[in-house]
Amino acid sequence: MTTLTVNGRRVTVPDDATILDATRAAGVDVPTLCHFDGLEPWGGCRLCVVDMSQEGWDEDWFKMVTACNHPVAEGMRVVTHSERVLATRQVVIDLLLARCPETPLIQRIAAEHGIEKTSYEPNPEPTDCILCGLCTRVCDHIGVSAIASVNRGWGREIAPPFHGEPPDCIGCLACAEICPTDYIEFTDGHVTRTIWNREFEMLRDPVTGQAVITTAQAEYFAERSGVPKAYFETSDSSKRLAMAKTFAALAVKE
Amino acid sequence: MRIESRDQFTALHEAARKARAEHRQQILVCCGTGCLASGAKEVAEAFAEQVADRGLDAEVGLFVKSTGCHGFCERGPLVVIQPSGVLYTRVKAKSVAEIIDTTVIGGEVITRLLYKNPVDGERIEDYSEIPFYKNQVRVAMRNIGRIDPTDIEDAIAEGAYSGLARALFELTPDEVLEEVRVSGQRGRGGAGFNTARKWASCKAAPGDRRFVLCNGDEGDPGAFKDRSIMEGDPHSVLEGMIIGAYAVGANEGYIYVRDEYPLAVVNLTIAIAEARKRGLLGDDIMGSGFNFDIKISRGGGAFICGESSALMRSLEGKVGEPRAKYVHSTEKGLYDLPTVLNNVETWAGIGAIIERGGQWFASMGTEKSKGTKAFSLVGKVKNTGLIELPMGTTLRQIIYDIGGGVANDRPFKAVQTGGPSGGCVPEELLDLPVDYEKLTEAGSMMGSGGMIVMDDRTCMVDVARYFLAFLTEESCGKCTPCREGLKQMLHIYDRLIGGDGREGDIEAIERLARGMQLGSLCELGKSAPNPVLSTLRYFRAEYEAHIHDRACPAGICRELTAYEIIEEGCDGCHACFKACPVDAIEGVIKELHVIHQDACISCGACFDVCPTEAIRTLPKSRLEKAEVV
Amino acid sequence: MTEQPCVDLALTDEILERYPLEEPSLIQVLQDVQRAYNYLPCDVLIKVGEALGVPAAKVFSVSTFYKAFALDPQGETIVKVCTGTACHIRGAGQLVEELQRELGIGADETTEDLKFTVKTVNCVGACAMAPVMIVGEKYWGGAKPARVSKYLGTGGGDAN
Repeated sequence: MTTLTVNGRRVTVPDDATILDATRAAGVDVPTLCHFDGLEPWGGCRLCVVDMSQEGWDEDWFKMVTACNHPVAEGMRVVTHSERVLATRQVVIDLLLARCPETPLIQRIAAEHGIEKTSYEPNPEPTDCILCGLCTRVCDHIGVSAIASVNRGWGREIAPPFHGEPPDCIGCLACAEICPTDYIEFTDGHVTRTIWNREFEMLRDPVTGQAVITTAQAEYFAERSGVPKAYFETSDSSKRLAMAKTFAALAVKE
Repeated sequence: MRIESRDQFTALHEAARKARAEHRQQILVCCGTGCLASGAKEVAEAFAEQVADRGLDAEVGLFVKSTGCHGFCERGPLVVIQPSGVLYTRVKAKSVAEIIDTTVIGGEVITRLLYKNPVDGERIEDYSEIPFYKNQVRVAMRNIGRIDPTDIEDAIAEGAYSGLARALFELTPDEVLEEVRVSGQRGRGGAGFNTARKWASCKAAPGDRRFVLCNGDEGDPGAFKDRSIMEGDPHSVLEGMIIGAYAVGANEGYIYVRDEYPLAVVNLTIAIAEARKRGLLGDDIMGSGFNFDIKISRGGGAFICGESSALMRSLEGKVGEPRAKYVHSTEKGLYDLPTVLNNVETWAGIGAIIERGGQWFASMGTEKSKGTKAFSLVGKVKNTGLIELPMGTTLRQIIYDIGGGVANDRPFKAVQTGGPSGGCVPEELLDLPVDYEKLTEAGSMMGSGGMIVMDDRTCMVDVARYFLAFLTEESCGKCTPCREGLKQMLHIYDRLIGGDGREGDIEAIERLARGMQLGSLCELGKSAPNPVLSTLRYFRAEYEAHIHDRACPAGICRELTAYEIIEEGCDGCHACFKACPVDAIEGVIKELHVIHQDACISCGACFDVCPTEAIRTLPKSRLEKAEVV
Repeated sequence: MTEQPCVDLALTDEILERYPLEEPSLIQVLQDVQRAYNYLPCDVLIKVGEALGVPAAKVFSVSTFYKAFALDPQGETIVKVCTGTACHIRGAGQLVEELQRELGIGADETTEDLKFTVKTVNCVGACAMAPVMIVGEKYWGGAKPARVSKYLGTGGGDAN
């Protein structure tokens, strides 16, 4: 266990904890955007910056780091709302507001930081995508990697290969679910689901007609889990439905 | 062929030296990229052909060698005759016969081919007397220009791998580390991190497998020292890496070469193959029992891949996205294994340090910046090229004594160092001794060693904008402050140079700069504000002129600048007419010429060619008030 | 993405034989593909991804991240203008403008007849010869706008 201070308050956390874990243990609210419990921290949005000083450093010597991925250390001092931390967060959210001027989540966080309107040039083509990377990261985590970041710098965007139908996508909707601004569109019909311009056949409960998951997703998990395809193809509708529900549950847990 | 013991190496070294000493004369033709661009290949071929045809190699004992970059690129193609030391500049293939007859055989110099000192107009025969070369102390570049980089025996004759022999057979890995520690060498890629400390922390990391890497991604525009070393003396890099691998216990190495340096890739490939053949790379190097081999990896065209963690991702076949530096790459680097990454110039110095001792290296330089440093001195300076000097040499010495002063004797304005992460140093700081600390204090940084001299015809607002435009294209886009911040900063600068600056712009720039410095993930974003902040620090008046007066004092920003011909100065030579790319100048030879303002694009081409300085710039706003021609 | 012509995949097989079939080889393979086909054809990218075990999305990600790669057919001759700092202050911008006038295209564009592609590159390391223009494999140092057509080999313009 490691003991450190957050805004002067002592907290003790596991040795492999991050500063964000410590701030939460201390009951302090540090804003995040690209963070998601269960996914490796990424450190891209830079909203969670805090000032930290290691043991043995000068009293007033701090380094600004992202809380989500910086490891804790014995005797560390963390300051979550110093003037320069707040100023930096404001610049970050101000910039995001310029990029996404019409996105409610960003407008809200900006307002929380005292910003009603961006002080920068608003994006001539407003988007809801904040490039937090959560969609691609969860897709990689599941092991599919159907979408990825394309281009670099300001032209960076999230897209399937060749901006066409992603060949590896299983239509599981994890990317759409995890997206904090609901940027990723999909349509869920009875028979098919469409996401990233690709249509997927749904596995349906033959009795209720309820669409459960896509067949592509079921196949993927069947393969991953080593369950024989026979189970999946059984004509016994209750077995099929049970299987489908199990896979759907697996998707959420992973 | 294979060297299997230290004695065999020593014997090869001595035999190679002897064979070369037997040549009564040597003709060294520089074939670095710069000289090749000026036709050096034809010159080298002409020499080789004519010497062979005339049987001179047998008769006179002549030896023609294509070497790497001498550094004096603008004067190329360069030819040096040894042992007399005569340097000929701007040599064309058609002059080769004359050179052979007059100088090589006849022993006399051809004056028109000699270097002419721009300071006093004197012709200088011996290249070691030329100020450009005289003041240099070449360590990393010790053999460039003296050896044929594709001939390993030539390199060995001049000392290559002698340091390695000492390391493998006289020193333990810890002792090698100690020697490097004594030298005080700091990384030559820009960050200036202590080499021995880096190696020690990799050595201490647990695990069986580790790597040594060479960063050949020299991305700073204006720097080309690494290119010259990789092209001109690849063995110095290989030797350094083998020694480093021995010290930290690595058996695998990679040299990451940027895509834009094809000749470096070629020469490194040849060098590696040659080294393997001789048992200097691969298993059981020199019979010492140490195994190490190197592979080359080409970059894909991304400045960010000069950043160490991005470089490693690129080696792994991924996009060049940096990682947070909390976990050091010396513990978790390439494939999350302990890795040492050093710059080309850093590696090139190691062989010399081990051969001659750390003390020798530490005897040069300043208190905290030991040894020598390579610089590319370019821009508006008379003698542009590549130089290596002890740390602590002042900017004034570099620009005036070695560089010969500002081109065309125009007033000096600033020297930009450290590339896009650096800053501009003004005239009042010219006596600054160049070292890591001093440059950082002045608001710039050492960076790769690029030194770009700027004259009064440089707009500092435009310079800052240039670097922002560069970085906007190179940002990987992962983090908000860099990706969005650079774009927004560029917007502001576009308005400034376009005459649409507003009250509060400077404050907005400063606020955004602070946000980027503190909030960005990697050094690209964190140091991107440096050119902005340093130009604001020393040239604030220029910014204010752009904002308040809609004027560009340097007469560069096109939206703000008009050109006009001064009647009294114009002698009708017609040069401006010919230079104008849009036919905006009207005039007949021997008569007064006139610029048509509606057609003029303010490119300044006429200004640059006018021999009587009869063209001047003025703010466009003033022109609008005056009579339109 | 523009319509792509059919490509000879045998060339790709040849390239794949040069490297270990794993992700770290991706960029080296793509370099060779770019050189062989003058751009990165879709079909080749898919084949490369399969051979190296890299998901298509990641292959596309890498292809679009690095400036060395083009996803559309490039001109027969690539004209590169160095826009490094030394070249910038010695007038690289004027060269780009002259190319626009001469060829009718800007940076990263290709002429209709697929003869030329203009690219700006970040520092080719020949700073002492600024400004530098590279036409195909040939380096032109101290390049002048008035001589651009000569460098291009399109006739006109005066000799040295």
